Amino acid sequence: MANSNDGQDRHRGQLSPEDKALFERRISDLGKKLGKARTERAANKRGHEGSATRGQGMAQGLKMGSELVGAVLVGAAIGYGLDMLLGTKPWLSLLFFLLGFAAGVLNVVRGYNRLQTDITRETGGNIGKDLPDGDDD
Amino acid sequence: MPDPIHQFEIKRLIPIELFGFDATFTNSALFMVLAVVVVSAFLILSMQGRSLVPTRMQSLSEVMYEFVAGMMRDTMGQGHDEGHGHGHGHDYMKFFPLVFTIFIFILTLNMFGMIPGFFTSTSHLAVTAGLALLVFVTVLILGFTKNGFGFFKLFVPSGVPLVILPLVVAIEIISFLSRPVSHSVRLFANMLAGHITLKVFAGFIIMLLGAGGAYGILSILPLTMATAMTALEFLVAFLQAYVFAILTCMYLNDALHPGH
Repeated sequence: MANSNDGQDRHRGQLSPEDKALFERRISDLGKKLGKARTERAANKRGHEGSATRGQGMAQGLKMGSELVGAVLVGAAIGYGLDMLLGTKPWLSLLFFLLGFAAGVLNVVRGYNRLQTDITRETGGNIGKDLPDGDDD
Repeated sequence: MPDPIHQFEIKRLIPIELFGFDATFTNSALFMVLAVVVVSAFLILSMQGRSLVPTRMQSLSEVMYEFVAGMMRDTMGQGHDEGHGHGHGHDYMKFFPLVFTIFIFILTLNMFGMIPGFFTSTSHLAVTAGLALLVFVTVLILGFTKNGFGFFKLFVPSGVPLVILPLVVAIEIISFLSRPVSHSVRLFANMLAGHITLKVFAGFIIMLLGAGGAYGILSILPLTMATAMTALEFLVAFLQAYVFAILTCMYLNDALHPGH
């Protein structure tokens, strides 16, 4: 009797030990995958995968780049204007050009810090940690 | 090869002169008016029913509202958690109309630019600088009316030794003044560069086809590139409107809570 309806027993939820171990491994695998997917989804919350993420990265990069250049230009313009007013050519131009560069670097550092806190807030700080290796089976 | 700059040419449609200034109605202005009309008509018509169970168009309007409201909550909502002792926790929502208008206006102009034959108003620095200066002046007025001279705290970071304080303040002021520059140049440069690139690749297709023979087969390469670029441009059109709006939120937040 036990031999003949082996298949039916399995359907009723009586698993052999090997099947059970296999099943448990699959569950824990699934849990890992789910955790990874959740982390990734939190990281990509605003965009989707692939091109959207790349586009966002590009937008961030261009944002920082333009902030750096913008500050240098504004600094140089202020220096040049002051030089014209005070007749101290070329000293203030040089000074404010350098100050502008410092302001640009400050802009970039601030932008980076803000980005970093945003990412940490969205992912709960597990980005880059929770990914198990060998994720494709 | 077709001139890739030709598409940005301003055409004078109705010459107007106001108080000695040239206020001609151009094709750029035409598309900005068109954007305002399209957006207003869409929002008014889609919200006409105001049903609890939204229609398709109504839910699209609601998605737009939710998107901008969420963006403002993310960027401006945190200052209230620290407890500033005033407001009801949502007084930043007073600026919702401004941020929403700026975001939807730029998004519509950018998307208009993706329609063949349409003019891209945001590819002109005059337009984007106007918008950036609007934000900049709003921040200045708001900062001084709300905080008085406390607004200057924005330029004086805490915990800096007195010796280098003048240097730091100078750097902070330049950093502050550079905001409208990078704010406007970014949007304008992105739209300009994207449209020129598209045009150049499209020009390659025609040149290769015109060369005939084996060159005609090669025209598949720029065609693939132009197709991919078009998809990317739609993404850029959205992202730049988003970045512009999110920076507006950040600057307004600085005006409301200086000295962070």
